[in-house]
Amino acid sequence: MTRLTEAFVRSAAYERRFLAKNPWDLAMIVWIPLATVLLIWWIFSQTQITDLPIGVIDQDHSPMANTLTRYLEASPDITIANFYSSPAAAKDAILQRDIYALVIIPEDFSRNILSSKPAPIILQVNAQYGTHSGIIQKSVQSVAGTLSAGVEIQRFIKQGMAPSQAAIAYSPISIQRTSLFNATTNYQQFLASTVIPALLHILAMVIGATTIGRELRDKRLGRWYRFIDNKRNDLSPIENDTLNVNKVNNKQAATNIISLKKSSLSVLGFGLAGKYCWPTLAFSLWAVLALWLATLQDSIAISSLLATYIGLVLLMVLSFWLGAIFTLASFSLRAGLSATGFISAPSYAFAGVTFPYIAISEGAQHWSDVLPLTHYLKLHIAQLQMHAPIAISLPIVYSLALATMVTMLLTALLTKRALHHPERWGAR
Amino acid sequence: MSLANKTKKTTKLSKPTSSLAPTPSPITFWASFLQTFKDIFTDSGVVLMLLIAPVIYGFFYPWPYSNEAVNHVPVGIIDNDNSTLSHTIVRYASASPQLDTQRFVNEQAAKQAMWTDDIAGYMIIPSGLEQQVLSGKAASVSVLGNGGYFILNKNVQLGFLQAVSTVSAGIEVKKNVAQGAYLGTAASNTQAVPLQIIPLYNQTEGYGAYVVPAVAILIMQQTLLMAAAMLIGTWYEQRRHATSIRGWLGRIMALSALSFIVGCFYYGWAFELHHYPRGENMLGSLLFLALFCPTVATLGCLLGLWFRQRERSLQVLIFSSLPLFFISGYPWPANQLPEVLQVIRWLVPTTPGLNMSVQMNQMGASVAQVATGFYALAGLWALYFILLLAFRWRSDDKRTRY
Repeated sequence: MTRLTEAFVRSAAYERRFLAKNPWDLAMIVWIPLATVLLIWWIFSQTQITDLPIGVIDQDHSPMANTLTRYLEASPDITIANFYSSPAAAKDAILQRDIYALVIIPEDFSRNILSSKPAPIILQVNAQYGTHSGIIQKSVQSVAGTLSAGVEIQRFIKQGMAPSQAAIAYSPISIQRTSLFNATTNYQQFLASTVIPALLHILAMVIGATTIGRELRDKRLGRWYRFIDNKRNDLSPIENDTLNVNKVNNKQAATNIISLKKSSLSVLGFGLAGKYCWPTLAFSLWAVLALWLATLQDSIAISSLLATYIGLVLLMVLSFWLGAIFTLASFSLRAGLSATGFISAPSYAFAGVTFPYIAISEGAQHWSDVLPLTHYLKLHIAQLQMHAPIAISLPIVYSLALATMVTMLLTALLTKRALHHPERWGAR
Repeated sequence: MSLANKTKKTTKLSKPTSSLAPTPSPITFWASFLQTFKDIFTDSGVVLMLLIAPVIYGFFYPWPYSNEAVNHVPVGIIDNDNSTLSHTIVRYASASPQLDTQRFVNEQAAKQAMWTDDIAGYMIIPSGLEQQVLSGKAASVSVLGNGGYFILNKNVQLGFLQAVSTVSAGIEVKKNVAQGAYLGTAASNTQAVPLQIIPLYNQTEGYGAYVVPAVAILIMQQTLLMAAAMLIGTWYEQRRHATSIRGWLGRIMALSALSFIVGCFYYGWAFELHHYPRGENMLGSLLFLALFCPTVATLGCLLGLWFRQRERSLQVLIFSSLPLFFISGYPWPANQLPEVLQVIRWLVPTTPGLNMSVQMNQMGASVAQVATGFYALAGLWALYFILLLAFRWRSDDKRTRY
């Protein structure tokens, strides 16, 4: 047992020495994730989208048209940037992105209203900018609705109806619309709170790949193993023999290889745990920061918070092992990092937050199911935003835990395999 | 750095006999151009990043969005009225292409289904609804959508709104007709100011058509940055990074030429394959690529000199795509960003680049209409190149001190 705890402690000390000497690798664990979390939170610090610029072409110039533009101006989501006299000038402004939409009030607008005919208004919206377009459509639609209701109710009143009756006659069945959870469409809650775990997941996979991958690249995997397995007391003599690795006599090399082939899986497991203990510690802290930010405006039951936290830390550790597995399987840090980037960088697009899971095409849904981020974000949204009972999300926590253990075992096995093949070390 | 650089190659090369690089890099433009080409194609890591990865992403990234529209969102209905009117509402809601309805006995059951993501919202029809409508009293139904998912919530609200409004309008028409109005005018009266929405450019309002053309430019930038920095980092390890100004221009030219081809793949093939709006101003788009690619390649070389190691570019740049996308002004309006960030964001090529590409290739803006973007890219290129030269002088100084 002491052999195992010693493997952990020695491996952690080995890693601490490396991090102290390599500022880039330290930055990947400390400064870059910290800056990323804060940056994303900062990007969405204005939590609602307001004052999107639109243009108006008023061909009617009536008091009614003025009321309409007043309503548009009063809508918090949009702002009238300019009035245009010609469609060409307006189109130019749309193409230059000075405005994202154009409201056209036709010349017979008020005449139609006065003669009780429908008086359509036209909204041309830049649908290429989907976020902008969605918000503008919603607000102009609600302005048109308000105006319609006013006109209709006035009409009923003119016909001699009491105002209270007129409102009911206009809309016999009204709808009370409620957005449960994030009721204020707070983008910090929606995007920042889910993007941060996604970015931590990417960073954790990269660290997972580099922490073991650099030992492979620098042909130091065997040196690391001999060091943690308690054969030598300090690094310096080993440093010498690895430096002269090409010149070392065959006999020495042969005994080294034999000792590596006899490597013990449990020692490797504890050694790997020690090697990854600093990133685990750091990312446990970033997880605290991420969840603290995500729950600032909301009081969450402590059990939900705890379950989400455990889920997030498990996702981080799982990501370390996944990055390590890609690297160890390919024997190359570069290939491992490429695979890590390919899988983790677009994983947010597949996670079903911005584009809903049910709308994702069937084949891509399978891919989404395989990604751990998808499952964590489900847990994250259910617990932190929907305030769901904890029992609903526990299966996700259990499966993340199971996946973490399986991947750790796999990492240890692949490390053992890598120790058997020193001829493949050093691949770039 | 000394610890990490002991690869086979560098140990062989790290016995400098003079201050000169072991394999001197070509210093003329064309020689450097050709040497860069040769090095790129003999290095599978660089080829993978520069050419293969963006092509794979051209298929992989649009994959989840291939359905484009969000339809048949699963929703629940709790009908506590059980009347002819409520049945009509339920029928209209289930006929809506936006919704996929199922019945729940009570709100608790519906909430349970929402927690497990089985439904995205539900409608409650209160008991006594028909009674109230018939007796001319104010009546209402409740629609509750899951605000945790914005697009789903929008669909739930809109789908139910349309179903209920249709039923409600039918009642209004009936009443007006009963009061003696002519059926035609009564029916057209239901919305005094109808809104006619004309979506421009992305006329089908597809999600993939919205997001992928912009992300394509981001993918191009990120893969080119990583490939260029990987190449220069590798050369640094082999002490082959130093060259003349013309030599650097040749390297940048070689990298951008290959990236330009990738850009043509997106404009000419990937967008076409997915039926996105495209090619509205092809000449402008190509002119854009001709400036964007060298700008990004120069930044990549600069990063390579800074990182000084083959794998570092992957390690440091992989995570940056998402934050760069959010500050580009495309998915999130730039005027909503904190003011400091509104300035800093211009230091990255995608900030002008992504919008310029969409404006010209998807929307059909003229070169003059995106002139600011061209000036910004040219300015960035000059900035990166000056920094590159500064870095070059600095590292040359260091090398002579060995």
